[in-house]
Amino acid sequence: MADRSRELSGKSQVISIEVNGELHEVTVRPRHTLVEVLREKIGLTGTKDGCEQGVCGACTILLEGRPALSCLTLAIECDGKKVRTVEGLANGEKVTAIQQAFLDQGAVQCGFCTPGMLMSATALLEKNPKPSLPEIKKALEGNLCRCTGYNAIVAAVRQASGQGVDPVMQ
Amino acid sequence: MILFDFQYERARSLAEAATLLASLGPDARVMAGGTDLLPNMRTEIARPAALVGLGGITAAEPQVDAEDNIRIDALTRLAAIADSPLIRKRQPMLAEAARAVASNQIRQMGTLGGNLCQDTRCLYLNQQHDFQFVAPCYKRAGSCCYPFPQNKPDVCWSVYMSDIAPALIALEAEISIVGESGMRRLPLEQLYSGNGLKPFTLGKNEVIEAVIVPATPARSGYGYHKSSRRGGLEFATSVIAVALRLDDALMRCTQARIVIGAVREQPIRAEAAEKALVGHEVGAAAYDAAAAAVHEIKPLPHHGFTKSFIVDNLRVYLRRVLAHAVERARASGMVA
Amino acid sequence: MSELSHIGKSYRRKDGPDKVTGRATYSQDVKLPGTLIGRILRSPHPHARILRIDTSKAAALPGVKAVITVDDTKGIKHGFVETPRYPPDQEVLARERVVYVGEEIAAVAAVDHITAQQALELIEIDYEILPAVFDPVQAMEPQAPQIHPSHPKVRDELPYSNIGGRTTSGWGDVEAGFAESDYVRIDRFESHLRTHGYLEPQTTIAHWENDRLNVWTSSMGTFIKRAKLARTLDLPYSAVRVHKVYVGGTFGGKIDLYSHEYCASRLSMIARRPVRIVASREEIFSAYRHGQPLAMEIKTGVKKDGTIVAQEIRVINNSGGYRGSGVVVIFLAWGFTMIPYRIPNLKFEGLSVYTNYTVRAPQRGHGCPQIRFAIESQLDKIAEDLGIDPVTIRLRNAREPWEELPNGDNVHEAGLIECIKVAAEKSNFLAKYGKGRNASGNIRRGIGMGVSGYFGGSLIYPNGSGVIVKMNDDGTPTVLTGGIDVGQGSETVICQIVAEELSVDIDEVKIISSDTDTTPQDIGAWISGMTYVTGNAARQAAGNARQKMLELAALRFNTDIEDLAIKDKTIFRRSNPAERISYRDIIAYSIATRRGDTILGEGFWRTMRDEPTHPSLATTKGRWTENYAFSCQVAEVEVDIETGEARLIKALTVHDCGFPINPALVKGQIDGQVSMALGHAFLEEVLTKNGYTLNPTWLDYRMPTIHEMAESEDADVITEQYSVGKPYRTKEVGEGLVSGILAAISNAIYDATGVYMTSTPFTPERIVKGARKLARTA
Repeated sequence: MADRSRELSGKSQVISIEVNGELHEVTVRPRHTLVEVLREKIGLTGTKDGCEQGVCGACTILLEGRPALSCLTLAIECDGKKVRTVEGLANGEKVTAIQQAFLDQGAVQCGFCTPGMLMSATALLEKNPKPSLPEIKKALEGNLCRCTGYNAIVAAVRQASGQGVDPVMQ
Repeated sequence: MILFDFQYERARSLAEAATLLASLGPDARVMAGGTDLLPNMRTEIARPAALVGLGGITAAEPQVDAEDNIRIDALTRLAAIADSPLIRKRQPMLAEAARAVASNQIRQMGTLGGNLCQDTRCLYLNQQHDFQFVAPCYKRAGSCCYPFPQNKPDVCWSVYMSDIAPALIALEAEISIVGESGMRRLPLEQLYSGNGLKPFTLGKNEVIEAVIVPATPARSGYGYHKSSRRGGLEFATSVIAVALRLDDALMRCTQARIVIGAVREQPIRAEAAEKALVGHEVGAAAYDAAAAAVHEIKPLPHHGFTKSFIVDNLRVYLRRVLAHAVERARASGMVA
Repeated sequence: MSELSHIGKSYRRKDGPDKVTGRATYSQDVKLPGTLIGRILRSPHPHARILRIDTSKAAALPGVKAVITVDDTKGIKHGFVETPRYPPDQEVLARERVVYVGEEIAAVAAVDHITAQQALELIEIDYEILPAVFDPVQAMEPQAPQIHPSHPKVRDELPYSNIGGRTTSGWGDVEAGFAESDYVRIDRFESHLRTHGYLEPQTTIAHWENDRLNVWTSSMGTFIKRAKLARTLDLPYSAVRVHKVYVGGTFGGKIDLYSHEYCASRLSMIARRPVRIVASREEIFSAYRHGQPLAMEIKTGVKKDGTIVAQEIRVINNSGGYRGSGVVVIFLAWGFTMIPYRIPNLKFEGLSVYTNYTVRAPQRGHGCPQIRFAIESQLDKIAEDLGIDPVTIRLRNAREPWEELPNGDNVHEAGLIECIKVAAEKSNFLAKYGKGRNASGNIRRGIGMGVSGYFGGSLIYPNGSGVIVKMNDDGTPTVLTGGIDVGQGSETVICQIVAEELSVDIDEVKIISSDTDTTPQDIGAWISGMTYVTGNAARQAAGNARQKMLELAALRFNTDIEDLAIKDKTIFRRSNPAERISYRDIIAYSIATRRGDTILGEGFWRTMRDEPTHPSLATTKGRWTENYAFSCQVAEVEVDIETGEARLIKALTVHDCGFPINPALVKGQIDGQVSMALGHAFLEEVLTKNGYTLNPTWLDYRMPTIHEMAESEDADVITEQYSVGKPYRTKEVGEGLVSGILAAISNAIYDATGVYMTSTPFTPERIVKGARKLARTA
């Protein structure tokens, strides 16, 4: 049987991460990924754990402003860094333009890809306020959605970036 | 979920990383972006006892050195390469190749050095093995090869799938390597062993420090194509990278490097195809001749693609890629 | 429809704000103190006898709180179908034998993942490996390994030969039909193994507490899960509570009982602590249930003008190691054959054959994409052979409104003919058709058409729904429904119906759904009847509450109910609108004058309310449904003739869903189905070898990404309507539209290249090979 817990290795360590503007000090082992720490230790379950293989994009968060897969990020490497999750988008009940656009365009169905999709879209719009269609596709290519066929999601990014797309839902 | 514990040390420099690797023993590995290593740790293809994290080291901006080479720090993130104005202007093929990698998140996380050092892949290899394929294969230090049962214990036909390496090899890039005893430099081709069991020639305590891409002379053109079933996200069916040069009249090919990736244990120079081109007048006949010679690289069937499909696909795209490269070379010749 | 205030409006989702802010709680988000991690030990062999299991070392490992094998169960079998002919055939853990790679053998609960994994590795099992069979045709040969030799025979003659189910049906005289046909064509089609691709992994958390089992699980229907868990655990239904959670996609893959749901429950009963089991993506891809690969032989006889005279169809399903939904898909393949076109003489045989693969589940469309791909592809070939265009041959055979189907069902206001006409016109079909093949250059455009029909709800017990509308003291309604929203938007639709019936604002309708303790029974989000069945129950419940308030108001105003009307939470007299009373006041009046009676509305609905039983899976006899939806879809593709690379450029869906209650939600269903169909057509395939799965990741199982997005246009053919207080007939929109479009893509590739696709997926390799063959023969 493979030795799964080597003694003296993998020692726990206290890290501090700023999540959505709040500082958290958490004890982690090197093997703990950021998605585990966010969901299990900090209690922010908005970030979804979809495949653990770095493919589906449901666990996308912003690390120092850049979209990152929290299932392929060791928490220990995030010591002293800033993380934004889906819970950090809305200000109380006031949602951001991209969140509102997802609601207005029917870009949400089952909702499981939505947090990761919103984080990728947020990163895109912060860098590029008027993305073209190829730029939208390139930014969201790492977020799988099985429900919508992506059409409504593209429309939502266009609506949020003020590119002449009106809400289809009231 | 990573199902085993390991030690983690953070390096402040690559030299320190090399020292840490030496002190941590034979089962220590460096980790940059982690986008290749961590999935492999999940599936227990890799089981390092210790990781030396390079995440705390800031990558230098790509810069042009005294000999007009571009020097790119190995820790440069792929997104930074794809977006770098310098690289886009001077080596657009490299920017294009970096942009072809995986997904935006992976490009934001993954580094150039990590991309070059990604492990080889095989459908049987890249999964957990807790109820499927429980008998470990040769690459997992076991005693079988699932896809090629006739293979001997020292042969593993897993495929090296970097999208970037073929472009860099076509561009005659070199890498500089930091080890305990200092630095060494070698052409990128020589990074590869050609054996899927241990695909790299790097020493145990060595780390790639930078990639050096020589300046492209006038009348040069490039062509790049990544074949894949989807527009993004996945690994390639095959990659073609071509760098060629035309004569003063812009009629004849004087130099060509054709590199095929994602079909063997390492990127392969398509030498017969190069021969079919160099010294000949460019045009459909030359492209057809080069394309006809591409089967020499003997692609491995992989990821559900048959050998004959891969060869067919390479033939079609090599013709197109060569035509593109010649157009670009002519355009650069006109400007020059 | 102008008098309607809420029906027909594209309201935003009720659950939208929760889902865009990360507040929505899915199974994986449920946190209970002291939760243990459960893991399942799976078979590494496709077919083997279990000689010995020893769990003692695992049980002794510190941190392990429970270990179970089949000996720790009651031995009660379950099955997707549980009828006298097809009794339950699967145990929750394997007994003595395993019949597919990944079959569940044992489960552990431990304090953390690493301990659970160590425990699995400590379980000792001795196997005797048995010969296995993977191809259904080989499995039917007399000498093939017998996978379930003890099962009741489903055909009279020997050998039994792994045939797990058989459906036969037909009418007329096919031989006579072929004899009188001007042209007869035979083709064989195959569809391949695909999976559902729900983003949320299968997850269950179970907690046995105070002699009751609480379960949170990612499902398509909490009441079905409760029934199956209670039965296999041998508990009273009332001892099991399946709680509401948000569900991250299902597409057919989360119906029926899964072993992990049982194991989490049983482990919790033993360990007396909550147990969570999350299926890894690799487990889902390689051991969980996929859709159904069908082989279809089709012989069709037609008149010169394209009129279908006779059709003989044989469908073989590779059903995997247990019966699963394999015996249903062969019934449904008959159903989806007979809906859209008149077939005067039909002979149908469907066989579901056991093999050493994982069990099969319904997958969106459940047989419809496969059989429509085959029939519609062949129909285009026939049309071409006869010199008829694809539109004409479809119009020639399409069912008219009010036709009676051979099984006694009626298609009512069927909109098929209108769908075909609108689709042809909107896509400018005939102007584009036939151009691609003769074009020059590498890139060829092609256009193709496909037709399908789909049922909307059927009588599989308990396909009934109860809904309660509870009037709150402030005059707002709260709806209690067992219906589950898996992303399709059912909660929003139900709230719209209640808002319409009670004339209240949509935001004021609260909904509590899919909790087995607090909501009435509902079948769940499958068999395509929720808007019809649960929706009509909601309509009735709201109407019942309205009626009670009107009766009170009639008393209060000393008038007749006919004199009363409602608007904006107020009841007023038609004869004197100034005389009015708010809902809040009428409820207070009720409580004050009727000994405290509050207002509760009840509603119940079922498909085919006067029909006692469901149709026979074996003979197809009996009525099937009362709502047939129709569609005609057009695909425009672009094919690189040199590489075989093809993509869907544009999809047009013209469909008859009765009427859309929420058009934007309908559109969402259409777009999703177009995307799923293009995945089926071009990309997705579960690759297997000897029962092992080769691509158990989303890197190598190629689900469409945003780059594959196709333009998706749609048009409604409205055939029904909604009036307050009256039962309505909606037709399904969530499943059938993966079908015509798949056929349309196949036909469009033919139009572009001349390559006749008889197997899915339409890979570059298949297309380029076909194109070369054509070039050689030309």
